[in-house]
Amino acid sequence: MVALIVRLKWQLLRNGLRRSTPQLVGLILGGVYGLSVLVVVATGLITLRFAVPSAVARSVVIIGGSALTLGWAVFPVIAYGIDETLDPARFATFAVPRRQLVLGLLVSSLVSVPAAVTTILGLATVITWSRSVLAVLVAPAAAAVAVLTCVALSRLTSTAFSSMSQRRRGREMVPVLVLLLSVGFGVVGSSIMKRLSTPGLLPHVADVLGWTPLGLAWSVPADIVDGAIWTGLLRLFLAVVVLAAALLAWDFLLQGALENPRGATGERALTRDAGLGWFARMPATPAGAVAARSLTSWLRDPRYISSVALMLLLPLGLLLPPLSGGSKLWSLAMAPTAGFLLGWSMHNDIAYDGTAFWTHVATGVSGRADRLGRLAPTAIAASALLPGYAILGCALTGLWSLWPALFGVGVGFLMTGFGVASVMSALKPYPVPGPGESPFGAPPGSSALTVVIQAVAGAAVFVLNLPLVAIGFGALTGHIWMGWLCLGLAVLLGSAALGFGTWWGARIYERRAPDLLADLSRIR
Amino acid sequence: MLSLRGLSKAFGSTLAVDRLDLEVPRGSFFGFVGPNGAGKTTTLSMATGLLRPDAGTAHVMGHDVWSDTVRAKQLVGVLPDGLRLFDRLTGLQLICYSGLLRGMDRALVVERAHELLGALGLDDDGGNLVVDYSAGMTKKISLACALIHAPRLLVLDEPFEGVDPISTSTIRQILEGYASSGGTVILSSHVMDLVQRLCDRVAVVAAGQIRAVGTLDEVRSGMTLEERFVDLVGGQTDVGEGLAWLRSSSD
Repeated sequence: MVALIVRLKWQLLRNGLRRSTPQLVGLILGGVYGLSVLVVVATGLITLRFAVPSAVARSVVIIGGSALTLGWAVFPVIAYGIDETLDPARFATFAVPRRQLVLGLLVSSLVSVPAAVTTILGLATVITWSRSVLAVLVAPAAAAVAVLTCVALSRLTSTAFSSMSQRRRGREMVPVLVLLLSVGFGVVGSSIMKRLSTPGLLPHVADVLGWTPLGLAWSVPADIVDGAIWTGLLRLFLAVVVLAAALLAWDFLLQGALENPRGATGERALTRDAGLGWFARMPATPAGAVAARSLTSWLRDPRYISSVALMLLLPLGLLLPPLSGGSKLWSLAMAPTAGFLLGWSMHNDIAYDGTAFWTHVATGVSGRADRLGRLAPTAIAASALLPGYAILGCALTGLWSLWPALFGVGVGFLMTGFGVASVMSALKPYPVPGPGESPFGAPPGSSALTVVIQAVAGAAVFVLNLPLVAIGFGALTGHIWMGWLCLGLAVLLGSAALGFGTWWGARIYERRAPDLLADLSRIR
Repeated sequence: MLSLRGLSKAFGSTLAVDRLDLEVPRGSFFGFVGPNGAGKTTTLSMATGLLRPDAGTAHVMGHDVWSDTVRAKQLVGVLPDGLRLFDRLTGLQLICYSGLLRGMDRALVVERAHELLGALGLDDDGGNLVVDYSAGMTKKISLACALIHAPRLLVLDEPFEGVDPISTSTIRQILEGYASSGGTVILSSHVMDLVQRLCDRVAVVAAGQIRAVGTLDEVRSGMTLEERFVDLVGGQTDVGEGLAWLRSSSD
């Protein structure tokens, strides 16, 4: 039975490769990238054996290993729905004894690219610790326990998460929350690290992590090399206990998942909205209807919610250098950055509709209405964000005279971005996660096309705004009048780009609407 | 009413629809039947402007779907199969969206949307998100979207798939009322029995071509529609004495 489940997983992995050529090319490019990262890290681990004292190697391996284990444990929550090929609930109708199922699912989880990478890294640590005979004997066992713990933890969170989040809303919102939390941790953590990064800190962090479930197995060989053999064996024992506990907990949750597979519980509708919502507030025209539909989706669909969150947070990232003692001038870039992100982000908007786009094709809605309506949510967000970020930038630097320049460059980026996006999104949609999937999972093999389109759209917006940026820098060097020139020119240039972009985009849209639908059904 | 001439569509090397001609007369209740993969969905998509044909034309009341697009689309209501909906809208919002996209007046759209919800038995669900609907409710809300602008021609792809008997009879009543007041319906289905009871004209399609077309009685020529269908399409496997181990009475 175990062999059968492993073979199933292997077959699924191989069939995943039997797709179209572009997807295969994308997959190979991704593979090459992953492989080069792996080679670099593995080489680094081997170098640790020869180049540095064992204390440094210890800190690196324990902290890195703990981070890797944490990544395994958290990943299924962020990227749910990505690899549910061996979703335990799918075995519910087959009478597989649970012990064998647990073992089979665990072993089959090892048949995957991330597990292979982790295993190779685990083996590389054996070389890192080949500093004594005993260490060489113990290190492989510790590495095996570490790798198995990674996989078991990821299965545990994945099963716990899927049984916890039977409800659509819960299932969809958790990844967004995890993203926000991790961004928050990242911001706080990096500023703390900046302030406290004294050379002596890392060994202490490693000491603490070495006694947590995340770092137990990774610290065993280090103890042996340091001569603390009994401490090492104690840690190895505790690591095995942690692994066993994770497996038992998983087994327990699996029982629940098998007896009550997903979809068996009746889902209560959570959102009730008796009225028309945005449809009553927007003008009763086709463009107004598209705007109302976009706004409703932006507020209810986690894919949009997470992109809104990112667009809010990324400009705030420019506050990091000033917070950690760098130049305050960075914060001036917030409004332009926000303008760029908001405008540029619309270049693949049609792809988020998926095949629901047929409604637009079947009703024969005009290209102009489709193009303009889609811009409404970002336009509304920008009307608050751009002046806000410009004010924030001025307040932090005290350079209030720069406000027109900051706001102007932001408006220029936003409106030219809208223009470029209106043309691009009518030309070629690229794959995005479907409704109800994780907002952070990209369909496999999509990377090449995605990168090209994103780069073309970004470059187009940037080139169109070069004059504005130049004049903006002029204002920064003390020529106040240039700020007002920048703002006036931004409105002119932006309006022209927006007008031309929507006109041209509408023409392309009307010619290509059925072909866009065909593209959308192919990439989904 | 709907006239298809020489429609062809190939996906890669497979020919899904092969020079297909079809006339759907005004006021008819037309059943479009065929086995899986016969090209029903492809044909109906090309007839409604959702899929560009490789060759051939489609006309709705004399308006070419692929050149006089806007006029033709105003006359048609579509219920496609296998395509998503904007399911983050509530049922009521989705119906109104279809109406407003067609440039209808908001007050009229809202009034009709409430009437449609009532007629389809979705009064209590109009405020819930479509993503939380069952398969049958989703079909009914799609039908409402297709009806909101009072089309002259209704093109329904598998309107009864996954729909329970009670909803089926609701949809039937609405369609029969629509047809009896002069509307034209073309629907595809696998359920021969339903087609036989509902439609006055039938076309049997297989491998992208029409095998038989005409009034129900002409097509079935004395047999039931199902027998005639199997006869025309062929390919039924004779189970005979195989699978003996499945017969639990044999031991």
